[in-house]
Amino acid sequence: MNPLALDAAALPSIIFTTAAQLVDCVDRRLLVVLRDGRKLIGILRSFDQYANLVLQDTVERIVVGSLYNDQPRGVYIIRGENVVLVGQTVRLCLIFMIVIAIIVLTPMQDPEKEATPLMKHVSLDEIFEAQQQESDSRRQREELKNSKLIDIGFSIDSQAEDMY
Amino acid sequence: MADVTTADQLDDSVVSEPLDLVRLSLSERVFVKLKGDREIRGTLHGYDSHCNLVLSEVEETVYVMDDDSDVLKTIKKQSEMLFVRGDAVVLISPPQRT
Amino acid sequence: MLFFSFYKTLIDEEVIVELKNDMSIRGTLKSVDQFLNIKLDDISVLDEIKYPHLSSVKNVFIRGSVVRYVHLPAAVVDTTLLEDASRKEAASQAAKAGGR
Repeated sequence: MNPLALDAAALPSIIFTTAAQLVDCVDRRLLVVLRDGRKLIGILRSFDQYANLVLQDTVERIVVGSLYNDQPRGVYIIRGENVVLVGQTVRLCLIFMIVIAIIVLTPMQDPEKEATPLMKHVSLDEIFEAQQQESDSRRQREELKNSKLIDIGFSIDSQAEDMY
Repeated sequence: MADVTTADQLDDSVVSEPLDLVRLSLSERVFVKLKGDREIRGTLHGYDSHCNLVLSEVEETVYVMDDDSDVLKTIKKQSEMLFVRGDAVVLISPPQRT
Repeated sequence: MLFFSFYKTLIDEEVIVELKNDMSIRGTLKSVDQFLNIKLDDISVLDEIKYPHLSSVKNVFIRGSVVRYVHLPAAVVDTTLLEDASRKEAASQAAKAGGR
């Protein structure tokens, strides 16, 4: 018997499965980051044990540095192996009444409002240009780094899918 | 090695497969090479067949490109207790004599 | 299953998960599963400026396969227990493989 399991058995009976972790994300607007670097914001409607996801009313947020642009995309079925993380946000609305202060937690409704003050919305053309510049300079740096690494005996195993 | 006996497998002192060498290094210092131009040195406390590891008193060495000078340099980081996911592990060995 | 059990002993501890893309996320470990997917509550992203799109995210589900490291509090880890468990796990893995 695994000695570590004895400690874990004393925990309250939370089910430690993939499904249990995702079940409280259903019907919420979430941020999903994919392995190719895409950020999708949509309402999670369905999932399974592989973390395959169904997202509705999805918006792809193209982010370059602190600039961003949102493109509506519709319904996505995402294969779980491409998911990096699924993020839940909490929006706090403070309503001050004369006598009572009420704090209300509401799920995300409008992706525009969730854009942070740290980010600046730009047009599609501008974001594509910024993306191109960033990928060009990243490629240059990678090539230089790889040539130096090969010189000292490392082998290069960069994976195009790990672009996030 | 299809004819390894069960008694051998349950005997901690017998080394019959590569992961048994890792077992010999438990609570010893090890050197681990990882994908992504990284190396770590630490005291091995746990491992499994995926080469997931738990190490303590870890020093991580990362080979990076210095943006300004275009020189390859190393960054060293310390950690008191670290879980390392096995899919990034390239090799595990006793510490190199440098 | 060894590290699955190990992680269950760390529920409610504060950890820092470093992903393979160098992003580091500090948070409270709330859940884990057999694939070592991790649920963190009340997260803060280290080096937030680089990842502004995550600034309003409070809870995350992180797929196990994208994790590089998890920085743990040393005080909570029983190294002797872990070493014993590793030996037993190795023996049972070998027995399983031999029996096939």
